[in-house]
Amino acid sequence: MAHATVQDLEIDSLQSLAQAQVGCDFRIRALEGPGCEQLRHLGFCETLQVRKLAGGRNLICSVCGTRLAVSSALAEQVIVSPVTP
Amino acid sequence: MESALETVALAGNPNAGKTTLFNALCGTAEKVGNYSGVTVSVKRGEFYTPNGRKLELIDLPGCYSLTGGTPDQQIAGNVLLGENSDHARPDLVVCVLDSSNLERHLQLALEVIELNLPVIIALNMVDMAEKTGLRLDPVKLSEELGVPVVPIQANRGKGLVELKQAMRHPFPASPEPRWESGNAEARRRFGFDTAELAARRPTLHSSNFSDKLDTILLHPVLGWICFIGIMFALFWSIFSFAGIPMGWIESLQDFLTGTVEGAMAGGDLRDLLTQGVIGGVGAVVIFLPQILLLFFFIGLLESSGYMSRAAFLMDGFMAKVGLSGKAFLPLLSSYACAIPGVMATRTIDSAKERLVTIFVAPWMSCSARLPVYLLLVPMLLGGSEGGSMQALVFLSLYVLGTLTAFVVARILRGRLGPDEVKSHFLLELPPYRWPQWSYIFRHVLDRGWAFLKNAGTVILGIMILLWAATTYPKLESDDPGEVLAHTIVGRVSAFIEPVVKPLGFDGRTGTAILTSFAAREVFVGSMAQLFQIEVSDDEQETRDHIRDRLAAEKWPDGRPMFGPAAVISLLIFYIYALQCLPTSAVVAREAGSWKWAVGQFVFMTLFAAGASLLVYQIARLFNLA
Repeated sequence: MAHATVQDLEIDSLQSLAQAQVGCDFRIRALEGPGCEQLRHLGFCETLQVRKLAGGRNLICSVCGTRLAVSSALAEQVIVSPVTP
Repeated sequence: MESALETVALAGNPNAGKTTLFNALCGTAEKVGNYSGVTVSVKRGEFYTPNGRKLELIDLPGCYSLTGGTPDQQIAGNVLLGENSDHARPDLVVCVLDSSNLERHLQLALEVIELNLPVIIALNMVDMAEKTGLRLDPVKLSEELGVPVVPIQANRGKGLVELKQAMRHPFPASPEPRWESGNAEARRRFGFDTAELAARRPTLHSSNFSDKLDTILLHPVLGWICFIGIMFALFWSIFSFAGIPMGWIESLQDFLTGTVEGAMAGGDLRDLLTQGVIGGVGAVVIFLPQILLLFFFIGLLESSGYMSRAAFLMDGFMAKVGLSGKAFLPLLSSYACAIPGVMATRTIDSAKERLVTIFVAPWMSCSARLPVYLLLVPMLLGGSEGGSMQALVFLSLYVLGTLTAFVVARILRGRLGPDEVKSHFLLELPPYRWPQWSYIFRHVLDRGWAFLKNAGTVILGIMILLWAATTYPKLESDDPGEVLAHTIVGRVSAFIEPVVKPLGFDGRTGTAILTSFAAREVFVGSMAQLFQIEVSDDEQETRDHIRDRLAAEKWPDGRPMFGPAAVISLLIFYIYALQCLPTSAVVAREAGSWKWAVGQFVFMTLFAAGASLLVYQIARLFNLA
């Protein structure tokens, strides 16, 4: 019987930042979409840790100590996975 | 433009503190604020290194990358790449980095290092970074990058001597990138690795003061209550606190009038000085305290970090009119003056959204409208100045201008069609900071001085011309009305009265409006002259005197000339009319076409006249005339 690997579990837990739960820490796994260059310039890059502070039409998150307001449409292009303590 | 001096450029991400450093090095008072996109054009200054060498310093708009971005960000990239025809490539680049955000800010510094220019890193706001628990290692950073790194606190002037030492001749050698030059991924990876070595973050995320304050100020309900409360307090303060300094100006005006009258024999020259110069210019200068207060409060909002929060709150509302929250920042700046507001539209990503914002920005009631509102609002309420009711009416005028701007923006945005590349709302929310009082006071004084200079040149010139036009040609008669009718103004008034009468104005008011097309604040002085209102000896009654005189004016059929309908009609006209030539010039430059500026002027003037006509005629139906 095949066992799920850590990688499989991680892929299962991938979600967009827009869907992610408020108040939790996540790691950015991928940036997919037309707005990702804009995001990269502002510091949204793969492997960085992000904390979602508020949801809504524009969500608020903290990356490297900077608070950013990001439209939910743009947040859909940020794929994250939860950070396990 | 080539310069004989060697040039040092300040580059960095938006809100890294470049202009604060620029002001600290050059002793200037360029506009600073705690939000992204305050500087939208290149600023120049000069300073000396410790060994006495004079250098030219250029402050570039903030950018995240040397390529792409909004128009203001492209300026910075073009200058550093040597692709800007107005500015030569700099001889040295000082990259200003916010120490709290090294991971992000280093990316631009690495791009600059790839340009093969001498580079110095100024690690700004080290105090704030250390307060958050960040442990910085500037020596390690310098070793990794191969460039001098100087920790500074630009707002307090700390580290400036060390920074100037680093800029001593010869400039540091151009560093050799330690990553594959031109490879964005390699650069990014190197930046993160370097930041990890040079700035150790506390592992636990703890809520700081800004986080806690944001839970209230960005709350979907509480945030709006605070926003409306802040705006109301702003306008109430302008009405309430300015009384004392206005009294001083009135005293000075009375003293000057008394001195001139005492020293000179009666005649045309004395009338010119007392009625034209002191009376006309004084009627405008009297509003200086309110204008200073407006700039002071907007300065407070800008430097505290609240502006970005206001943009965040307004984004949902702005989306309904086809704009984004980013357009709110230029619009809010336009409440002080439309010129910086129009220039601030450079921070907007979408070109179409930028054009629409430029088009409607002059409908945000600027400080030049204050004198007109302050004269007319108490007339509407039939009382003296002050009080919360007047503040409420005052706020309503601002809201009306703003709402109309939004409706027109919605229509115009729809006609321009969607963007080719969809832009998304993305805004940095800087930490709240204690306002930089010294800067705010300097900025307020600069604006006050600019207002006085305008009063002493443009307004004075118009007042003298107007005095002459209301005096000549002379007619020997005891009836002042007959004398005025014989003058140039009397004839012009008679000519334009049929045009402005449906709006509720007589020929003199129409002439006062005409004189205010160069600068709208001229209206108050013009009215004082055209209605031959003398400056009162009573210090606190001069403006009341103007109002009393206007309230007593009647049409030939006995109806009051300045009943509620006419006053509302006048207010409406001044909310909507574009009576500012410098604004039109800036619009033409920013929109890249005079067609936009002319179209905007014609549209806004016709709109103002149409709205006044409509309001006056409707008010007449309700017997408010």
